[in-house]
Amino acid sequence: MLVRDIMTTAVITIGPEATLGHVCEVMQARNIRHLPVLEGGRLVGVITDRDVHGGSTKLCFTPSQPEGLVRDAMAHPPKTAHPLDPVEDAARTMRALKIGCLPVLDGENLVGIVTGIDLLDALLRLTGVDKASGRLELRLADRPGGLARLTALIAERQLNIHSILTYPEGTGLVRAVLRVNTLETRPLAEALRGAGFEVMWPAEKPWRS
Amino acid sequence: MAELIYTPAYGSYDFGPEHPFSPVRQQMAVDLLVSLGHRPHWTEPEPATRADILTVHDEAYVAVVEAVSAGESVPDLESWGLGTPDTPAVPGIDPAVRALVGGTLAGARLLSEGRATRVLQFGGGLHHARAARAAGFCVYNDLAVAIRHLTANGLWVSYLDIDVHHGDGVQAIFYRDERVQTISLHESGQYLYPGTGEIHELGEGMGRGLKINLPLEPFTPGESYLEVFEQVVPPALQAFRPQVLVVQAGADAHFDDALADLALTTQDYERLFRRILELADALTGGRVLFTLGGGYSLHAASRVWAILYLVVNDLPVPETIPPAWAEKWAAHLGGKPAATLHDPSPAFPPLARRDEIVSRNRLVATRLLDALAPYWF
Repeated sequence: MLVRDIMTTAVITIGPEATLGHVCEVMQARNIRHLPVLEGGRLVGVITDRDVHGGSTKLCFTPSQPEGLVRDAMAHPPKTAHPLDPVEDAARTMRALKIGCLPVLDGENLVGIVTGIDLLDALLRLTGVDKASGRLELRLADRPGGLARLTALIAERQLNIHSILTYPEGTGLVRAVLRVNTLETRPLAEALRGAGFEVMWPAEKPWRS
Repeated sequence: MAELIYTPAYGSYDFGPEHPFSPVRQQMAVDLLVSLGHRPHWTEPEPATRADILTVHDEAYVAVVEAVSAGESVPDLESWGLGTPDTPAVPGIDPAVRALVGGTLAGARLLSEGRATRVLQFGGGLHHARAARAAGFCVYNDLAVAIRHLTANGLWVSYLDIDVHHGDGVQAIFYRDERVQTISLHESGQYLYPGTGEIHELGEGMGRGLKINLPLEPFTPGESYLEVFEQVVPPALQAFRPQVLVVQAGADAHFDDALADLALTTQDYERLFRRILELADALTGGRVLFTLGGGYSLHAASRVWAILYLVVNDLPVPETIPPAWAEKWAAHLGGKPAATLHDPSPAFPPLARRDEIVSRNRLVATRLLDALAPYWF
């Protein structure tokens, strides 16, 4: 999954000479929190709702006024992403810097923006259910061939895997969550247990164990 | 008294001896009623016509089902949801499933023509079938065809799905329809097929607020099930005020079910059926159409559906099952004792997570009601 697959392409921007009062109006009207700042078509900064909050409270370390200029309040130079960056790179950058968005530049051109909300949408796509399917959850040894043996057994039963999500669990273990096109995940789990797999879900029924 | 709709032709909807959606399930239930001294009298329905099927399904999909049924090979069959382990492409499947659809439709006609109030269709409940796709043992959606007949005759329908799996096909077909309320109680899609049925699926357009889902924790016992049913279903029905209730009475929320994880007993099912009849009497002038559905413990499903028959006919539910029945069906009962219609009490040892399950279900029901509140005023 690449940044271009999740970014918003209709980007709303603002100029450096705009006032913070105007920024506030745009953000409220469009229900957004981040505005890339363009000067002569080039990206020069990013202004966020936090930057304009300075105008709304005396408690702020750097109070600002509604007539203050974007140029003086914006973050610059801005951190950016490229459309072909993997989504995880964008997520890592945003997490490391604890920032809410990355304007996406192709060369000098602003082609999109990725925000935390786009990353949540990506997470929903990765974990979501888009076809009727049953869920299978296993704990695998983090060694070559484990997942291959699992998927081969599933393929032998003529079943189609709609999605696989894996993540590390402690040392030497991997949790794998699969969505498979069957209602019969219990018999499948039994067969996999028989083949030596540790199946976490479907679990044994408590009254049978 | 209820009208019973059934035909031995239902037995032809059969994906083979290894497949769990077996017509033996109804046959065992009918035979159980006979062994209890009843002589169930049923009306044999006509199979649904192609035109009936097309009130719900896309013509291109129907053509695929017909081709498969005639033994022709169809390219890319799996994209239609057929030829999968769940819903194999078997010859003769088109007339077989039309027999089941015809039964549910016949039940809807009895209601729309005012010739009956309580109807029990002893088959059907193919709630996973989509307009253009087979899924989860279901080729055509008999419930949707029946509901469409009812709305075409000016009736507002509440569809109540107590099968352990989310009634995704029926919900999808009526997702934008303001004349159809769907209510599905099921094991959470987080754990069970088909994966949908979360509380935020509320319908779209004019149907917004009319698609209601109550996903339940695995191993939910009957007490908790009935508690959240009471929290959600009566107010939902009262808010919509349907003229007819259509109930998919899958028996697979039973604790012995082979494919799912809820923990109802046959006693819980009996309470549930009685409560649904009470609600129908209070809200729809008694008009209710029950179908069967999932149920993959033959031991449980045959008893649950025998109880359903007895309850809708206001007949007493006896405790004891004559031993001859268990002997006759021994091969299907898996060595489980089948001397009583009700399960032993307690039916299983106390659940370690019981309190957590109960409070989690309550929380989900409360969140669902909060999400629905804006639509109910």
